[in-house]
Amino acid sequence: MADHLLQVDDLTVKFGGLTAVNRFDISVQRGTIHALIGPNGAGKSTTFNCISRFYQPTTGRILLDGADVTNMPASTMARLGVARTFQNLELFGELTVFENVMIGAHVHAGGTWRNALSARPAGVVEHVEHLLERTGLTPYRNTSARNLDFGHQKLLELARALAIRPRLLLLDEPAAGLRNREIAALDALLTDLCRREGITILLVEHVMQLVMAISDRVTVLNFGTKIAEGTPEEVRNDPSVIEAYLGQEMAHA
Amino acid sequence: MRDKTAAVLPRSEADLPGLSARSSVPLGRVALLALAVATLALLPFAVTGYVLYIANLLLVFVVLCLGLHLVIGESGQFALAHAAFYGIGIYTSGLAGNAFGWPFPLSMLLAGLVAGAVGVVIGAVALRMRDIYLALATFAFGEAMQWVFLNWDQVTGGPNGLRISPARLGAFEILSDRQAYPVVVVMTVLMLLLTILISRSRLGRSFRAVRESEVAAMAMGIPVRRAKITAFGLSAFFAGVAGSMFATFSTYIHPDSLGFQTTILVLTMIVVGGLGSIAGAVGGAIVFGLISEFLRQTPSYQEIIYGLILIGFMMYAPRGLFAFIRDKVGGGTRG
Repeated sequence: MADHLLQVDDLTVKFGGLTAVNRFDISVQRGTIHALIGPNGAGKSTTFNCISRFYQPTTGRILLDGADVTNMPASTMARLGVARTFQNLELFGELTVFENVMIGAHVHAGGTWRNALSARPAGVVEHVEHLLERTGLTPYRNTSARNLDFGHQKLLELARALAIRPRLLLLDEPAAGLRNREIAALDALLTDLCRREGITILLVEHVMQLVMAISDRVTVLNFGTKIAEGTPEEVRNDPSVIEAYLGQEMAHA
Repeated sequence: MRDKTAAVLPRSEADLPGLSARSSVPLGRVALLALAVATLALLPFAVTGYVLYIANLLLVFVVLCLGLHLVIGESGQFALAHAAFYGIGIYTSGLAGNAFGWPFPLSMLLAGLVAGAVGVVIGAVALRMRDIYLALATFAFGEAMQWVFLNWDQVTGGPNGLRISPARLGAFEILSDRQAYPVVVVMTVLMLLLTILISRSRLGRSFRAVRESEVAAMAMGIPVRRAKITAFGLSAFFAGVAGSMFATFSTYIHPDSLGFQTTILVLTMIVVGGLGSIAGAVGGAIVFGLISEFLRQTPSYQEIIYGLILIGFMMYAPRGLFAFIRDKVGGGTRG
């Protein structure tokens, strides 16, 4: 078992002439919450999409629990225990809340023919119901995903990702667009997932309130390059970070 | 039928009467199922051979619609080569009977498998594209197949068409529509049950996931391309079986009836019934099949009327006839 659940070495992503990410490294310790922050266009989402295997890096290596996954197709990552959410919600809009989370459990709904053919595979339905309960979505289980309000849609994406039973949870701006009360609930939920269930979380986030409250470590990216890394305290006081990014945020706060 | 939850259920939920996983099956649905069973069982005693011919043909279209439902309704892939696979099914089972005297259950299976196999090969190529490009690529394949049917004289009889010898099983021969009817009914029910099974299973969920969001499906561990090819192959299999059903009660096939207008007819049926719902596919085939039977009196206007119906539904009832009626009757229970 490698010390770091996720390790990214020397990652570079070029789109034509533009270098979106430049020789970036990150190591995510098992059982921690690690935030990736930076101003708009810093390359956070690009990095994130490489790790979840939606983009192919130009150079570099991605190791999951010591195993090289740099050339894995995106659809195998769920089976390896990597779940992700999307910045601009990618729900199965016409389908019910329940069915959305059931599809999240896709990799666990096989095994036997009986289970694969069943509308309610054994062991899976119970877990799905549990996740709905936990995210407060039970009252909406038969509602079409697209008829939910934004906050509940965000929660549904999270519940669906959790149905994968991930080791590593990749969250792309989970707090964006949420109200303060909802952010507080998300804060509690993510902390609980990490501390009690040992799910390692890597999140890209702009909402500093959340990042500073829950992260064990923070990595700061600017113009595709890592400019700082450390505890939330260290990063908050780092002059280059204040200059690049937090300075503006603090001024507004 | 004024069931409030039914209006909120997704149009993809495959809860046909009596087969729902939940215990509380709405009374209206049980009644509808009973009516359908009674009609199918009693029909041969009440009507002439010609009406049974129409019934057989309608049931063939039900199976065609179920097949197109799998690829378009469930998986959201606009594949427009259904008539080609239907034709492959007809010629395969016809030739297996003509040339080798195969018993019809075997030639039916062969027809489905050959069409399905061609579907997988074509799908593997065509499904690299999506939307309008996929529609065009599959349309082109459909046209090419019709050309093959028309010009491969030694096998298909070319423009002279193909005489299909009577379907047989041992000493038993199917010589009339009345004799073919039970076979056609049993096959339709089997294919309907198979559709429900697929739709409710893990495979059906992965089809709907692909339809709704390919990127999300990928993130959930669904191999998107494989799911699309599977849906396309299954759809072709269904069309092939439908073709072999046609061959049990038909004595002749001509390539003219295997062109794009047949694909459009099946597409219109599932749109009229309501895209994405199995009940819609079945209901659409029957309702629209009956309409087109009446339109037979005025063949010159037939295509125009089809077109108008299709446009009308897309504009005013995109979720299909049955959802449209339910919404009107139910008084807009959808939130």
